[in-house]
Amino acid sequence: MDSTVAAAFASWPLDGRVIAILLLSAFIYIRGWLKGRQLLRDPNDGMRLLSFLLSLLVLFLATESPLDAFDSLFLSAHMAQHLLLIMIAPPLLLLSHPLLPMLRGLPKRFVKEGLAPFLSWPPLKNFFGWLTSPMPAWFAFAASTVAWHVPFMYELALSSPMWHGLQHAFFFWSGVLFWWPVIRPGPSKPKWPKWVAIPYLLLADILNTAISVVFVFSSKLLYPSYNTVRATHFGAMEDQSLAGLLMWVPGSVVYLVPAFILVMGLFTSSRMQTVTAPRRVCKAVRTGSSIWWKRSPALRRLAQTAMLLVSIIVVVDGFRGTQVSALNLAGTLPWIHWRALSMLALLAVGNLFCMACPFMFVRDAVRRVVSPSLRWPHALRNKWLSAAIIALYFWVYEAFSLWDSPWLTAWLISGYFMGAVLIDSLFRGASFCKYVCPVGQYHFVVSLMSPREIAIRDKGTCRSCQTYDCLRGNEKARGCELYLFQPKKVGNLDCTFCLDCVKACPHDNVGLLPATPAKTLLTDAYRSSIGRLSKRTDLVALALLLVFGAFVNAAGMVAPVMMWEHRWHARLGPHAMPYVVGAFVVIGAVILPFFVYQCCAAINGRRQVASRLALSLVPLGVGMWAAHLAFHAASAWTTAPVTWLEILLLEAGLCVTLYTAWRISEGVVLKQFLPWAAVSCLLFSAGIWIFFQPMQMRGMMH
Amino acid sequence: MRLVLAFLLAASLYADGGKVLFQRKAGAFNITLFAAESPVRVGKPDLSVMVQSSSDQSPVLDASVQLRLVRHDANAITDITAPAKHEQATNKLLYASTLDLNTPGRYRAEISVQTKKESALVTGDLDILPPEPPLLAHWPYFIALPIVVLLFVLNQRLKQKRRAVNPQ
Repeated sequence: MDSTVAAAFASWPLDGRVIAILLLSAFIYIRGWLKGRQLLRDPNDGMRLLSFLLSLLVLFLATESPLDAFDSLFLSAHMAQHLLLIMIAPPLLLLSHPLLPMLRGLPKRFVKEGLAPFLSWPPLKNFFGWLTSPMPAWFAFAASTVAWHVPFMYELALSSPMWHGLQHAFFFWSGVLFWWPVIRPGPSKPKWPKWVAIPYLLLADILNTAISVVFVFSSKLLYPSYNTVRATHFGAMEDQSLAGLLMWVPGSVVYLVPAFILVMGLFTSSRMQTVTAPRRVCKAVRTGSSIWWKRSPALRRLAQTAMLLVSIIVVVDGFRGTQVSALNLAGTLPWIHWRALSMLALLAVGNLFCMACPFMFVRDAVRRVVSPSLRWPHALRNKWLSAAIIALYFWVYEAFSLWDSPWLTAWLISGYFMGAVLIDSLFRGASFCKYVCPVGQYHFVVSLMSPREIAIRDKGTCRSCQTYDCLRGNEKARGCELYLFQPKKVGNLDCTFCLDCVKACPHDNVGLLPATPAKTLLTDAYRSSIGRLSKRTDLVALALLLVFGAFVNAAGMVAPVMMWEHRWHARLGPHAMPYVVGAFVVIGAVILPFFVYQCCAAINGRRQVASRLALSLVPLGVGMWAAHLAFHAASAWTTAPVTWLEILLLEAGLCVTLYTAWRISEGVVLKQFLPWAAVSCLLFSAGIWIFFQPMQMRGMMH
Repeated sequence: MRLVLAFLLAASLYADGGKVLFQRKAGAFNITLFAAESPVRVGKPDLSVMVQSSSDQSPVLDASVQLRLVRHDANAITDITAPAKHEQATNKLLYASTLDLNTPGRYRAEISVQTKKESALVTGDLDILPPEPPLLAHWPYFIALPIVVLLFVLNQRLKQKRRAVNPQ
């Protein structure tokens, strides 16, 4: 192959955001399509799915293939791209009748609570019905096509990726509008007769031909940007004519063929009325099956063994390897990759790290020799100890640059192993996990935002159960070591995803089931082994520490804060840095949240309400941790800025926080919702300020 | 993880041309400098170079290309050089380079092209503007927030209305 052609075919822009949207759309449609198939089997199902996937493929080719890479060099490539966006992808999308499968594919609760009020809102329904009727749809399409081909607008699109994206969005969505009256996708019932689509398509072809003629026969170059680059024997004018021809011939075919089919359909419609009735399918569907977990009891051991091996390698490298953190596994794996991966796992599935915890592997091995006999002291059966350890960790991390010392990191991991083994050799149950482990507490709090939880399938089965094996255990598996009784367990708090209860349940009634993130914060029900959240001041303190700690931890790496610390360091003396950092951590992560809580509680009136509302800040804190960790993970692979991703993650956190606070306050806006909304908006602003500051690239060579 | 990040981060790399900043003919080559975004601003502008044979306009793909930006100030001279490569470009006919520009002003851009047989050097002026305020530069990401809040408020009002009409 000619090297130029090879280079052209190797030019794939691959914008991650577009690919993510296409994959997500495919996932939602297929999910809804599968659900629909279980209810009603339609003979056209397969074709519809194919049509939807083809429309996504065409969108991918239009925006992510060499066509996109060459659209700023050749008008003809740009025109081909636009034809795909206007004439091919929209009809394929509408032929898949996407509305019902997409609604079925989305979470039920989101559709019922979030979308249904809009979908059943008469003004919106009327507007949509009007917009998709032939006249407005045709004029919207014509206006978009003509406006974006005006030289000023076209040049604007060429000069900026943002305008370029907007142009493509206009072409695609005006294409969807245009093809709507022709294809008439379900479930809407059109009011206009079918024949209307024939003059509709012919008029569109006339418009298309008129614009094409301008391109083909113009003696002037319409878009001067294309004058610069000329290929062999192929000047800008020839390129313009080719673009016009592309629009003219294939464009006309796309309009005239459906018009012809419609004409033929009108003549033969009486003979084509043999409709195959959709077949109802009654099939019991079991969701969230835990069978594969049960059949793989070694799965957890395998994950733990792998994590243990990684830990040993990290510790050995930390003690014996080079002490340059960027070149040492102890400097990069735990602080950059593991933290980001565990956050990804928490937000995508659940508390997978605790499930694969290597400390528990060693502890279990030791417990085969030493069996613990003591009970964890009553006074320590809360989260105060772990909160204190986390606050200490925030200080040590910054003051002694843990991330920059493989040797200290190796000691920390070794100490962790020793602590877990020592505590759990003396005390029964999973005392270390429940009351001490700071990593575990962090995971418990973040897993409030996880989309999965270990929960029961059917309440009736648990009511009739007399064995309580999920708590007590049996010969198959031990019961819950964290004393979580499944029928009374709510959410992911204190759950290590060990799956012992799943294996122990004799009725196969416990599984890893879908959950709505943050939903458990909305209720104040009694929770097994936890009690009511509104009465757990220690848990609220832990959550606030982690929320404010997210901002303090990120702020400690930005230039203005570091300069402030260095100024105080210079003023107070050569050994003052740990104290300066300590003051910053204590003020930011301990005193400030305490002060905020007290002020809000005074306004809220009741401390229990304040405690519940304080927990609504958790999603914002998780958003900040996710943004911060995404920044560090990204900086390991690229120097390109990822501020946009950080902003989106923090915004998502803020939205969930505001929604949670709104629901908890139950319409008491002034006294309950507003103070906490103000706090979350201030924290959000602080987060945005942090993102825009120069940040230290820790553990990186660049 | 790496795949996910690579997908997401690909979004920040364009280097498929964009706006033409200047075009010069030198010896056996036609050399064009593009910027993914126009005007070019302080930061890491996405600059790419196209090298064509001046005789038949065919793209030259085996050249070694260097991009140098020089700015003379009353107090200091800024001089940044970086190689431009196909690997950094989305459009593999171009040579892309990502330079770290900290100071705004008028720069002299020098593009040197070398093949086994020929070499050429072209220069042109390049105006680098100060960075956009960060809030303005990222406005599309901020606009999502008020839209979500507005939709939520509307959602709540619609639900209230529905409850008023149909209390059950």
